[in-house]
Amino acid sequence: METVSRAQVRALALAAAGLVLAAAPAAAQSPPSDARCVQCHRQLADTNLSRPARLFPTDIHAKFGFGCLDCHGGETGKDSAAGFIAKPNRKDIPALCGRCHSDAQFMKQYDPSLRVDQVEEYKTSVHGKRLFEFGDTNVAVCISCHPAHEIRPPSDPESTVYALNVPATCGHCHADPKRMAPYHIPTDQLAQYKTSVHWEWMSKQGDLSAPACNDCHGNHGAAPPGVASVKNVCGQCHSTMMTLFTGSGHADYFVQRDLPGCETCHSNHAIHAPSDSFLVEMADSVCAMCHQPGDSARVAFLAIRHLIDSLRVARDSATAILDRAQQAGMEVSQAQFELADAKDALLKARSAIHSFSVDTVAAQLKSGFAITTHAEQRGAAAMHEHLFRREGLAVAVLLILGVIAGIWLLIREIEHRQKHSSRSS
Amino acid sequence: MSDTSAPVTRKRFVRWLLGTSVGGLVAAVLYPVTRYIIPPKVGESAASSVTLPFPPTEIAKNTGRIFKFGNKPGIILRTPNGDLRAFTAVCTHLGCTVQYRSDLSEIWCACHNGTYDLNGRNISGPPPKPLTPFDVRVRGTQIVVSRKA
Repeated sequence: METVSRAQVRALALAAAGLVLAAAPAAAQSPPSDARCVQCHRQLADTNLSRPARLFPTDIHAKFGFGCLDCHGGETGKDSAAGFIAKPNRKDIPALCGRCHSDAQFMKQYDPSLRVDQVEEYKTSVHGKRLFEFGDTNVAVCISCHPAHEIRPPSDPESTVYALNVPATCGHCHADPKRMAPYHIPTDQLAQYKTSVHWEWMSKQGDLSAPACNDCHGNHGAAPPGVASVKNVCGQCHSTMMTLFTGSGHADYFVQRDLPGCETCHSNHAIHAPSDSFLVEMADSVCAMCHQPGDSARVAFLAIRHLIDSLRVARDSATAILDRAQQAGMEVSQAQFELADAKDALLKARSAIHSFSVDTVAAQLKSGFAITTHAEQRGAAAMHEHLFRREGLAVAVLLILGVIAGIWLLIREIEHRQKHSSRSS
Repeated sequence: MSDTSAPVTRKRFVRWLLGTSVGGLVAAVLYPVTRYIIPPKVGESAASSVTLPFPPTEIAKNTGRIFKFGNKPGIILRTPNGDLRAFTAVCTHLGCTVQYRSDLSEIWCACHNGTYDLNGRNISGPPPKPLTPFDVRVRGTQIVVSRKA
């Protein structure tokens, strides 16, 4: 194959440039403008150069009237080379975006509610620290999560930062073993998160307030929460449990042992819906992970489980008898209405487990037991009344059928008599 | 000649009428008995409106009360400004019954500390959605709460 020297390549490139300039003299002489950038870039064969021009009309900046020159420089009416940035250096991107996004006065013109501390927050993130302290340009910068030329607001379902899309956006890098290899961090967080109750609520029940990556790690200031602060992170939503846990003996003990608050029992990314089976005498139960047989705490958690099971069974029994009574046509709606409070007591008791105190759990269950006992009595009374009515109905039906049979027999008797008298006459 | 081809006499007609009447009478007795013994499934309450068992004067400013709407609880409250508002009282998180907190002037769920503002919007804690609002009408001494159209 024939080889080409560098000088020949340069000569060819100059010739090609000359041809382009000759073919488009107007474009070479007139000052740059957004329209002209788009006009040429859309037609370029290199998709890296044409794609931005094609995508930009969907970008929120385009909708607010911003254009290519606002980020890439090159002032209208001046030499096209003045201040032109072809492809911004990744390390410079936070500052480039921050030029507008950190300026409260400027941002107020477009979105007064938008925060202007993203760059400052970014500097505190693991991404920002690695970028600025170690010059690591492989870390996420603004455009990694808000892709340049197609930035959409978080409220847009097609946005990469729409709540439902955030896990995939973070996972784009964090679930990629090749990309994460230099950092020696796991890449199964996204897969784990997708088995969690949070993802289930978000993706299946449409609850966009359910936490995604950014709700626990922060978005611009993304970093893993410290061991001692895990309970505070979870406590943003689960405040009852956080308060009870903080007041329990476990809180200090966990800090001393460098154990993260909620995560030790509930995991971090693969948080599954808690169940009463956490409190069982099994090697794989959550409490039994630490509490060995013979441990006094083990006795306590088994007592808590027993109490909770008792109310659950009592509630199920009362529900069943009231349902039977309702099915039988008895009026028990008030009892059913009141029984709903037993469910509240059960849920409060399950929250109270985070106090790790049998008495606290028992106190929450007390009202539940009173409700179920009352409901059971009312259900039993309704069923007793139903039985009485049934017996009464049986007697009435037998009497009516007896009367019908009697009339029928009487008619037959009359007919028989008439036939007999007509024969004898 | 067979019996069926015989002409219908008045006597035969009366006998037929009597026989079918007795059959009908037996069916009329047994059908409701059967439906009573094996009743149909009871569906969800379709109540669309309820008159509360207490007058508007019993709800002071910055207080709330639970009422029965079909077979689910509802909550009616009077805001500190004096407006009457009603919502479903079923927390959108795990279905506990919410209550009015006069100290916070908010609707509160005791199970997981979820809170809603006086428009029923979920504002903190785990509730994922707002409470469903009802229409409230005061007719003399009665409060009528109904589902929104």
